[in-house]
Amino acid sequence: MFMNPIPRRSFLKNSLVTAAALGLPSRVPAQPGKPATGGSVAAGAFIVDTNVNTGWWPFRHMKYSATPDLVAKLRKHKIKRAWAGSYDALFQKNIDSVNTRLAEDCRVNGGGILVPFGTVNPAFPDWEEDLRRCHEVHKMPGIRLHPIYNGYTLESPEFKHLLDGAARRGLLVQIAIDMEDERKQHPLVNVPAVDVAPLPDILKQIPNVRVMLVNPFRHVRGAKLKAMVERTDVTFEFSNLDGLSSVERILPDAMPWKPYHPLGRILSGGANPTVPLERLLFGSNAPFMPLEQSLFKLIESPLTRAQIDALAFGNADRILVPA
Amino acid sequence: MPALMDFALDPRAIGLPSREDLLEMRIWDSHYHGISQHDHVMPYFDRMGVERVFSLDVGFMRQTQEETAAGIAKDFAVLETWKHRMSGLCRIEPGRVDDTLEHMNRCIRHGPCIGFKTGGYHQGPFTVAHPNYDPIIRLAAELDAVIYIHSVFQVGGNPRRYDGGNAVAESNPRDVAALAGRFPDVKMICGHQGTEWELGIRQIRPHKNVYLEFSGWPPESGSVDFAVKELGIDRLVWGCHAPSRSFSNALSQVYDAKLTPAQRKLIFGTNLRKISAAIHRRKGIKVEI
Repeated sequence: MFMNPIPRRSFLKNSLVTAAALGLPSRVPAQPGKPATGGSVAAGAFIVDTNVNTGWWPFRHMKYSATPDLVAKLRKHKIKRAWAGSYDALFQKNIDSVNTRLAEDCRVNGGGILVPFGTVNPAFPDWEEDLRRCHEVHKMPGIRLHPIYNGYTLESPEFKHLLDGAARRGLLVQIAIDMEDERKQHPLVNVPAVDVAPLPDILKQIPNVRVMLVNPFRHVRGAKLKAMVERTDVTFEFSNLDGLSSVERILPDAMPWKPYHPLGRILSGGANPTVPLERLLFGSNAPFMPLEQSLFKLIESPLTRAQIDALAFGNADRILVPA
Repeated sequence: MPALMDFALDPRAIGLPSREDLLEMRIWDSHYHGISQHDHVMPYFDRMGVERVFSLDVGFMRQTQEETAAGIAKDFAVLETWKHRMSGLCRIEPGRVDDTLEHMNRCIRHGPCIGFKTGGYHQGPFTVAHPNYDPIIRLAAELDAVIYIHSVFQVGGNPRRYDGGNAVAESNPRDVAALAGRFPDVKMICGHQGTEWELGIRQIRPHKNVYLEFSGWPPESGSVDFAVKELGIDRLVWGCHAPSRSFSNALSQVYDAKLTPAQRKLIFGTNLRKISAAIHRRKGIKVEI
């Protein structure tokens, strides 16, 4: 059902050696929080949502902001696990408090579905301790980074050090490229998208690191996406992949024609290089975006069941071994 | 890839409507950009159960009459072939009012089009608030034409404002409200309010002749709930913006909202059919509301 391994998949073997040397688990299993009272994964649930958020979006109350409401929504649509970051990590300085609350929220309210992904800000003093706590105290299988909101770029030396640290611990590193359309940001908040151009050269220096781009496709396009696909092993979640039959269009050899806009702009998918199936994952960006949007992507494109399974859970289960 | 009408996954298994459910909604799409690739694009509309599309790219006004005529001929041919599934809205140029009126007569009064669409690219700083639009709207009203207004709030400017990023010819909901206030008996669609919808909806709220359409932007949960609460279910129409946007985007906004199937049907098609029934009848197209 699954594709050929990623060329640099040797990271697995290497990380086993490195982690053993550190006395750390090589690949931390996804450990969904156990609900304090009731709650369970819905019967027939099979989808892994790699991109949800808890906490409070600073600019709007969302209808599924409350974690129990979000979990109920995920359960209704057959999500078996959801990798959860926290909106609180965008602006709050006490990042350990954010991560602790995230872990507790997932444990108490996560319904056996939510898997916490804490945030580490390498621009903050002693970020190494935050990373250690994410891994050792909260047992998180990965972290979610917000470079621009947190005040650093991918060129900063601290970012490379953080990737080194995450690789040693076998943690998956999610990098959020943006959090909302920049044309709609609050006027006082002017946050550009993360520039991924430096990433291929950085990742070449850290062969064991596993990186996934979150909310990538508004800005990682054209030559940048080509570089990501051809020069790295990063994976992508598809919450902001848009355009007619977008999943079909971005997969290799899928669509023999390329849609275009009548005013002459080439559409994102049409101009984009393709992404191998094994590197594309289901992500919803709930509760900001409707969960239904990403679910419909599995329907709108004429996919085989094997392709749907790879997108919906196979690729995610390969990256994070289920508990 | 499987055949276009094959579904390897039952949508109902993941809490989504089936194709049969979508057909039941009788979806009319007010925002279609696929006319130039129609044979490729339309099969996806079949897959997703869409009944009729409004093509917004019919008869662009070019620099010369010859260029405009050539474009019209090509577009009208597609409309004629697909009149059972496709309606056409022509483009206008508010900087050239007399030419626009002549163009509307050619495309709408005497041609197959059922209305017009404004854009953000016009030849001069003419938003729909500008008086140049007055004779255009009067003619549209006389013809029972559908009026679709590209309208957005985009952040930008110096100092930055929530509405400071628009192009000079790009209307925002405040412009729509100004126009609607001058023509309170003329129905018009305020498009793209998936942009700064929390403000755009408030802007048009007092004007009962203004309908709201969401398309062309990343979808946001709760937006349709808010629109229904503030405007009422009868003032929303649906648009997909394919192929540059997806069904996944446009359908999800409606299914995210807490609505009954009957309410969804109003948004997906009934409201648009009511707006356009008169002009469709003029074109010999019977519309069952």
